[in-house]
Amino acid sequence: MSKSTPSTRIALIGNPNTGKTSLFNTLTGMRQRVGNYSGVTVEKKTGTWSLPNGREVELIDLPGTYSLSASSLDERVAVDVITGHGLGQKAPDLVVVVVDVENLRRNLFLASQASELGVPIVIALNCWDVAEKKGLQIDSKLLEQRLGVPVVPTVAKRKSGTEELASEIAKAIETRPMLMRPQWPEAVQKAIHTLHEELVTKRGEKLREGELQRLLFDRKSAVSERLQSSAAEHEPIVKAARDQLYKDGFQPDAAESTLRFRFLNPLLNDVLERQAAMKKRSKSEGIDQLLLHKFWGLVVFIGMMYVVFQSVYTWAGPMMDLIEGGVGWVQGIAADALANTPMLQSLIADGIIGGVGAFLVFLPQILVLFFFISILEESGYMARAAFLMDKLFQWCGLNGKSFVPLLTSFACAIPGIMGARTIHDNKARLITILVAPLMSCSARLPVYLLLIGAFIEPVYGPKVAGATLFAMHFVGALVAAPFAWALNRTVNKGRKPEPFVMELPHYRVPQIKLTCYRMYESGKEFVVRAGTVIFAMTIVIWALLYFPRSTNVEELVTTAYTQELEAGALIDEDELSKRIDAAYLEQSYMGRFGKFAQPVFAPAGYDWKITVGVLASFPAREIIISTLGITYALGGEVDEESDDLRSTLTRAKWESGPRAGEPVFNIPVALSIMVFFALCMQCGATVAVIAKELNWWWASGSFFGLTAIAWAAAVLVYQVGMMFA
Amino acid sequence: MRLNEIKKGGLFRVKNLNCCNDCVSRLMEMGLLPDQEIRLMHEAPLGDPIAVEFNGCHISVRLEDAAHVEVELISE
Repeated sequence: MSKSTPSTRIALIGNPNTGKTSLFNTLTGMRQRVGNYSGVTVEKKTGTWSLPNGREVELIDLPGTYSLSASSLDERVAVDVITGHGLGQKAPDLVVVVVDVENLRRNLFLASQASELGVPIVIALNCWDVAEKKGLQIDSKLLEQRLGVPVVPTVAKRKSGTEELASEIAKAIETRPMLMRPQWPEAVQKAIHTLHEELVTKRGEKLREGELQRLLFDRKSAVSERLQSSAAEHEPIVKAARDQLYKDGFQPDAAESTLRFRFLNPLLNDVLERQAAMKKRSKSEGIDQLLLHKFWGLVVFIGMMYVVFQSVYTWAGPMMDLIEGGVGWVQGIAADALANTPMLQSLIADGIIGGVGAFLVFLPQILVLFFFISILEESGYMARAAFLMDKLFQWCGLNGKSFVPLLTSFACAIPGIMGARTIHDNKARLITILVAPLMSCSARLPVYLLLIGAFIEPVYGPKVAGATLFAMHFVGALVAAPFAWALNRTVNKGRKPEPFVMELPHYRVPQIKLTCYRMYESGKEFVVRAGTVIFAMTIVIWALLYFPRSTNVEELVTTAYTQELEAGALIDEDELSKRIDAAYLEQSYMGRFGKFAQPVFAPAGYDWKITVGVLASFPAREIIISTLGITYALGGEVDEESDDLRSTLTRAKWESGPRAGEPVFNIPVALSIMVFFALCMQCGATVAVIAKELNWWWASGSFFGLTAIAWAAAVLVYQVGMMFA
Repeated sequence: MRLNEIKKGGLFRVKNLNCCNDCVSRLMEMGLLPDQEIRLMHEAPLGDPIAVEFNGCHISVRLEDAAHVEVELISE
């Protein structure tokens, strides 16, 4: 791969579902980079492609869009890049418009809009094979003549036509073919002329005619945001031009669609030939009779989601065990190797390897989810799923596309948050990401199992215990619904929702290569980008739990232990090391902070040991189990099934304070802890992923917000519980 | 009658569109213009959104947005 960016730049644009990304992948292979356009969350893909004449070009894959009217971020990015305002780089030398043969007219609308921006164009007629099979015939030569630019039939999946496309592009870079532009009626010309006079001539704005058209035709054009003159100055100018157009008989919002299609329609005469043999009802329509059926469609949908969810939950299991085993093995080796330097041993084995391992464990779930997401999207089912579920999400500012990410979050919020990329409406995506951590993920399960097993089951029996476990899984979702509604009302106030007009594309067989690539991409991003943050956090938490390591702690514990032995107490050897661990934790910064912060958690019924457990669990909530194990002097190796931990918890008594001698744990405390864990954002990896997907502002906001909600709910549960206890 | 009221099986023709609605603008860019023929394909389980077909493409629209499109029945 050449390091320097090639000087020739080609942008790829097209409607969604035209196989544009497929073509992009075919042309660039693995030589591509994924990033974000600065300031927006729209994914930016660029790649390098060698033309047959040996020339290296940079290929930019613009987001799929139906139009350039800039009502969505995707469209705005597309306009900015084509006009050379995006990326801080010059305009592309050529735009390749990827056109789906089956929706030729609609696809050429976009090509026609792009041509107004003054760039040379080459058209790739994609999905040629599917159209031919359906009995559609297109006279590409005639179309080429009429449009005035090269038209190349391609089938991206089978790489057919890519050579022709390459040689046409190589030629077009030199000849710069321009697509035929409509002859606008006088009224439009007049309005454009006025805009040109006022903005370009008088105020020196650098605007092409296509950009002036955007200002004229779009209700709130994104182009206006990058004008040099103030809004107060240019808004009246644009409004006057639109008013003039209206007076001359063209409703500005409708003028472009009406006039542009009026221009395109005659160009397509005789180009498209539908053969008589063309089946009246396509295969897709047949499939939809079942999949969008009011009852059976829902049954299939629930079944499919069950498979996805189960797979994220269970398929990933063996791989996760393998990673955990591997991490344990490496930890063992490191611990042995560093036995002489206890601090380094603890930092590397417990801190770094343990911390990074705890985060790598999520990788299998991400890969499994993206396997399904890719298949659901590629096949065209994702749009159907969003169609079926949309009504459930409308009221809180979300749409049907939030369903899959939120469902996945019940296994793990991290793939869920990454999966929210499939939501095109940025506003809906934001809310989905912010409520995703409230879904009860699998890491909460150990906490529930421990506390339910210790306090609910012995008192109320297994049936109530099961019901409690079930109910705990809905606590988060129950809070999430009003939370999403409130977020929509506050954070998104004034921001227009993107129109939820969604195409239900034809079903396609997903390509295994593309699926693998998406899994690889998402996995890599998770490991590389979120991983670095996790690594730093891990070391900080380790240090808080380790330091200060005063030497006399061990002596004091040992002396007390020998005295007890001499007094005739029956305590085994293990007990000593457990007590030493507990003493170290108690005097660590984390332990001290726990004691200091205990009054904050007192209204929720927590003693200092639980408080330390809660605080130490902020990097990963399942840490509570081992921390409680240490604070209640059981040694680090405990899990939720351990009877020792359960019975120790039931025996634990308040050491001092107003309730000295009473048991620390009762049912309200157990419930309060569970509710706290259900709602709190105790997962460093989630915080890091939110920061990556949105920004640090949102990540810290949701961290503190959810912690506050969790605390309030825990206090409420405890206080109400104590009234009945 | 409006697009949110159309029934399955009938073929309809667009009479008028309220282009001040964002969704309607989007539909127009997709080619839904006056005189375009349109029919109802599916209704979501809760009755909203609906999937309509015009020009060979299937589009999902929410009822509140569909109400901005005026149509007339041309054949049952």
